[in-house]
Amino acid sequence: MKVTVVSRSGKEVIKGGIDLGDSATVADLQEAIHRRSKARKFYPSRQRLTLPIQPGSKERPVVLNFKKSLKDYCDGNLDYLTVVFKDLGSQVSYRTLFFWEYLGPLVLYPIFYYFPVYQYFGYKGERIIHPVQTYALYYWCFHYFKRILETFFVHRFSHATSPLSNVFRNCAYYWSFGSYIAYCVNHPLYTPVSYHQMKIGFGFGLLCQISNFYCHILLRNLRKPDGNGGYQIPRGFLFNIVTCANYTTEIYQLLGFNIATQTVAGYSFLAVATIIMTNWALAKHRRLKKIFDGKDGRPKYPRRWVILPPFL
Amino acid sequence: MAGFLSLLRRIYLSLYNWTVFFGWLQVFYLAVKTLRESGHEQVYNAVERPLQFAQTAALLEIIHGLVGLVRSPISATLPQISSRLYLTWGILWSFPQTQGHVLVTSLVISWSITEIIRYSFFGMKEVLGFAPSWLLWLRYSTFLLLYPTGITSEVGLIYVALPYIKASEKYCIRMPNKWNFSFDYFYMAIVALATYVPGSPHMYIYMLGQRKKALSKSKKE
Repeated sequence: MKVTVVSRSGKEVIKGGIDLGDSATVADLQEAIHRRSKARKFYPSRQRLTLPIQPGSKERPVVLNFKKSLKDYCDGNLDYLTVVFKDLGSQVSYRTLFFWEYLGPLVLYPIFYYFPVYQYFGYKGERIIHPVQTYALYYWCFHYFKRILETFFVHRFSHATSPLSNVFRNCAYYWSFGSYIAYCVNHPLYTPVSYHQMKIGFGFGLLCQISNFYCHILLRNLRKPDGNGGYQIPRGFLFNIVTCANYTTEIYQLLGFNIATQTVAGYSFLAVATIIMTNWALAKHRRLKKIFDGKDGRPKYPRRWVILPPFL
Repeated sequence: MAGFLSLLRRIYLSLYNWTVFFGWLQVFYLAVKTLRESGHEQVYNAVERPLQFAQTAALLEIIHGLVGLVRSPISATLPQISSRLYLTWGILWSFPQTQGHVLVTSLVISWSITEIIRYSFFGMKEVLGFAPSWLLWLRYSTFLLLYPTGITSEVGLIYVALPYIKASEKYCIRMPNKWNFSFDYFYMAIVALATYVPGSPHMYIYMLGQRKKALSKSKKE
């Protein structure tokens, strides 16, 4: 069959189109586009291929899935197919993205603890280190070390890559907040909370981190190791009551940290992180409900909290 | 019902735009009058109240955007309104030592001309259903000069205020405190100055794009 590849403005991206066999898959098409693109710039993870939609139509375009055959997307005519191409920009693997995001907090936080940074902010003299500041260091660094390990050994990603620009955006977020919190918690004029409050905070947080790890293991087992992604109904442990139990435990572990350290910086990080994760959770919950609608033999998605019982 | 609400929206926005228009007209008139009669040192005293009123009223525009009363994305209006309010209240009102500076004159004149054109443009659209093409041209052309003069005045005044901010310790929260929070208004001012570095070209280029879109669209009609 002959595939015509156009940009969203209608211009031909690959002159003359591409000739492929009738049983070709989308992945084959992507490879062909990659080979034919100028300077072989458009590797497959950069390509977003959709079926053309009528101008003025409010429907979202159908994105081509790389596993499927091209003929699944031909409506009747098996000789010709037109696909719309969008360049997603330079891509990095999710592992790369997460590694750099998490490295910042892991490395920057101890700098404020171990090195005499505060004299450059005008605080001369010796610094008395409270026990809570030491525990906070261990807790924080353990958390980001755990995250990096999970990135390489536990998570199975639905998409292989993410745009390069996200590296800068996400690193700015993690590294800025990490430094800000480290600055406040390790400050020479830091005021600790009561010993009890600290114990409760770290204890609860640690429990949540362990739960969070278990949630990640459960999610991993939903996907096959061949990296094809896909969605399943999560089950077991906290997933029976809340869709995004992994986000829930993550939010609560950060809350534990804040109960123990009590800084505006930490709580504002918690607020922003909660908003971000809640947006993701709503999208995921909606997507799962849409896929698992109970029709055509598919199971129906059970009634569950989205992310933060009893609020949402 | 829909027609009634739409009419109500039109009446409200007309009232809003023309009221704020008169506020800025007052600012401009008083600024020029005082400049000629008494010199630049007195300009702030003359314009203070109408300036504060007209500029603070712009907060309503954020709400208009949020509830969908107007189409403008708040991502464009929010930085503009924040910087205006910062200058009006956070610098000029808070630090009287800056009020006699000549940059105050260039600031209020740049702002008032821009706003007079902008509010009359929207006011006419709400009342008449359209705005005359010369007004459209003014709205998308005067910024070419007034953005640089306005931005220079803003940056200049923040800079002039810096020593007074540092010395007064106003709006600063010091540690130790229960929430382990510190806020230094002086360093915030430095950060504010730094944001002008990427922010100004971004806004200017955005307006150039808007100009191209608006003026070519009107040519086609």
